[in-house]
Amino acid sequence: MVKTENLTFKYSRINQKTEEKEYFPALSDLSLTIEKSEFVTVLGHNGSGKSTLARHLNALLLPTEGKVFIKGLDTSIEDNIWLIRQSAGMVFQNPDNQIIATIVEEDIAFGPENLGIPSDEIRKRVDECLKSVQMDEFRRRAPNLLSGGQKQRVAIAGVLAMRPEIIVLDEATAMLDPVGRKEIMAIVKRLNKEEGMTVIHITHYMEEAVEADRVIVMNDGNVVMDGIPKEVFRNIAKLKALGLDVPQVTELTHRLIENGITLPDDIITLEEGVEILAPLLDFSKPSETAKNPPSHMRQTTDIIELKDVSHIYSPGTVFEKAAITDISFTVKKGEFFGIIGHTGSGKSTLIQHLNGLIKPTSGQVIVEGEDINGDKAKLRSVRQKVGLVFQYPENQLFEMTVFADVAFGPKNMGFDKAEINRKVRRALSLVGISEEYFDKSPFELSGGQKRRVAIAGVLAMEPEILVMDEPTAGLDPKGRDEIFVQIKELHKELGNTVIIVSHSMEDIARLCERIGVFAEGRLQYLGTPEEIFKNAKELEKIGLAAPQINYLIRLLNEKGAGLNEDIYTIDAAYKEIFERIR
Amino acid sequence: MNLNITIGQYYPASSKIHSLDPRTKLLALFVFIIILFSAPNAFGYVVSALGLFGVILMSKVPVKFMLKGLRNVFFIIIFTVVLNVFFVPGETVLFQLGFLRVTLEGLFAAARMACRLVLLIIASSVLTLTTSPIELTDGIEHALKPFKKIGVPAHEIAMMMTIALRFIPTLMEETDRIMKAQISRGADFGSGNLVQKAKAIIPLLVPLFISAFRRADELALAMESRCYRGDENRTRMKVLKRGRIDYIFYLSLILFGACVYFTRFLL
Repeated sequence: MVKTENLTFKYSRINQKTEEKEYFPALSDLSLTIEKSEFVTVLGHNGSGKSTLARHLNALLLPTEGKVFIKGLDTSIEDNIWLIRQSAGMVFQNPDNQIIATIVEEDIAFGPENLGIPSDEIRKRVDECLKSVQMDEFRRRAPNLLSGGQKQRVAIAGVLAMRPEIIVLDEATAMLDPVGRKEIMAIVKRLNKEEGMTVIHITHYMEEAVEADRVIVMNDGNVVMDGIPKEVFRNIAKLKALGLDVPQVTELTHRLIENGITLPDDIITLEEGVEILAPLLDFSKPSETAKNPPSHMRQTTDIIELKDVSHIYSPGTVFEKAAITDISFTVKKGEFFGIIGHTGSGKSTLIQHLNGLIKPTSGQVIVEGEDINGDKAKLRSVRQKVGLVFQYPENQLFEMTVFADVAFGPKNMGFDKAEINRKVRRALSLVGISEEYFDKSPFELSGGQKRRVAIAGVLAMEPEILVMDEPTAGLDPKGRDEIFVQIKELHKELGNTVIIVSHSMEDIARLCERIGVFAEGRLQYLGTPEEIFKNAKELEKIGLAAPQINYLIRLLNEKGAGLNEDIYTIDAAYKEIFERIR
Repeated sequence: MNLNITIGQYYPASSKIHSLDPRTKLLALFVFIIILFSAPNAFGYVVSALGLFGVILMSKVPVKFMLKGLRNVFFIIIFTVVLNVFFVPGETVLFQLGFLRVTLEGLFAAARMACRLVLLIIASSVLTLTTSPIELTDGIEHALKPFKKIGVPAHEIAMMMTIALRFIPTLMEETDRIMKAQISRGADFGSGNLVQKAKAIIPLLVPLFISAFRRADELALAMESRCYRGDENRTRMKVLKRGRIDYIFYLSLILFGACVYFTRFLL
């Protein structure tokens, strides 16, 4: 179905100093064959050449050397282009930037319209595709009123309407929340199983990769690993060296193997994990850690207090909408506080209250004992005290140099030059940006670096409270890890209060002392990770879940293992299980 | 951030006017403008106003929405009126104040201009209130088709309008987000003199432009990957069809034009 022969692609760029053209290889000598109806996942850190490969499959890019064949058609022959683009449909990363029309059904019709298909046939296809992605009821909706997952479903429908045989998803799930990701995976899997669609899915999420028939790992523009998921994921050390992740179960079993337990090294799903581990455990031995008292709440003063905060958008109009309702909670000084909730649960609205960007319609936001909305003149000092890092903060970079951009905050706060200099250097070193980058344009940096510079821009104001909205969204596993390590160090070294919004239950469980769970604009649960994830069933009802490793423990307990269920990290799970192995 | 940003001013209702083909409405507006500017005397305006009022009644859109459109251009109307009052040359001087003098002819010209503008704006409001932006785009594409031979890029204009309509809400959300992010870093968009204000807007504009370019780039890729190649060999899912109601409307329009023309014999 898809075949590349010694595919090489070089990007050209003008060197600004020498004014000569330079070539950077993005793909080098890549040969690959994908059969009809295969479900292939492509992994690789950012810059490994995944997206470049994807663009070759659709003739959006043409090989510098070598050939690409789609259904036997050579992409470099111009007459083939339209047939190739129709047979190999692409879904891109950003849901906003691939919907062309102003209403859903018109957008789905866009492809067939370009193919010159008669009107009634287009109408038929659009109806069919809307049903196929379960977006029938939204057919007349404007795309900007849809959630990310729904937009990606529209994009898939738009591709399906061209009746392709191959569908290429270029990190199509990267910007979605867990619910959206699941929806997309369910649709793609169904298309693959029931309609024999060939699927090429580029992703950073390991739980999606294990569901494929085949996993291809890319590095430096070539394929470095290729095989069924089990074969690929058993090479845990190699994957980590490539800046990739493995499923939590695999990580756990490998940890056990390293410590002398005999286990198969290719366990990738929960079910397998339970099957293999259950017979090894000594069910009669009581759990050691279960007796441990639950961790206590920090005994420090309250730094933030919310009192019955509600916010209503456009009150008194037809668009009136309650975003958050009667939110009350406190955050302790120095605490690491997590906020979870599905898209549209009011998380973003809530955190914008914390530094006075939004005023509550009713209720009070109190920071260090003062109502922040009491005196307008004090708002600036509140914003210095409460640093807010937005989602995708790299989108707000604007200065000529990294240094100048980070200096924007302290400059606005009115510090003198020496002080600004000190603050900027400190902030950049905190996020691990070394001096050689200070004079570079922020736009020349990699995605992960940009993100860190943007975070430094907030850190430079030396806030006492750092609020971050999904600081790792859209990054590859390596980038995610780097950011989390730095946030953790920051919290440990400086003792700042950190409030973090995240979709990753694994990360939240690992980092946070307490968690607030939001749904429908209300604070549903508040407590330690142990207290929160105990309610896994309730969490699932609101589109959330406990970390994967917790499900492993629960499944083992269903078999009678009697393990401590308050386990949410691999470390803890390893200790608990290691103790109990016969 | 409120996601319910309405673009244009479409007022959804089911009326005869709403169900007209957008091309009919566009043509009617065009004809109405010609009629207005060739109206021979005050009676012509009265008849025009009556005709327009009839259409408004049929459209079931509350009159106050029509007048909303006027509020936005109120100053332009005042400005035109003042210009006309003072600068139209005339014989019958009513009074003089320095170099400014007001003549009877000037007053008449001003009144005429005001009538034209008000009617024109109300008429275009009727169009935009009863036609969704999508229909309007389709209508413009079709209406411009005959001019393609002389090089009018009808399809491209319509595609540009569609994309603009599609991305206005997205970019508005983005503006809101970037603004809030910079305010969080202590930026001040509200105060200071004009130079300071202009300078303050840079941290907003640069990221916004960069993002718009990136979006444009990605959108172009997405369009290409879905086989877009201009209007070459392109069909449409929705085909515009003129119905009986459209022909009735055309006939009324001709009659109406004739009425306005014949007012010249009333004086």
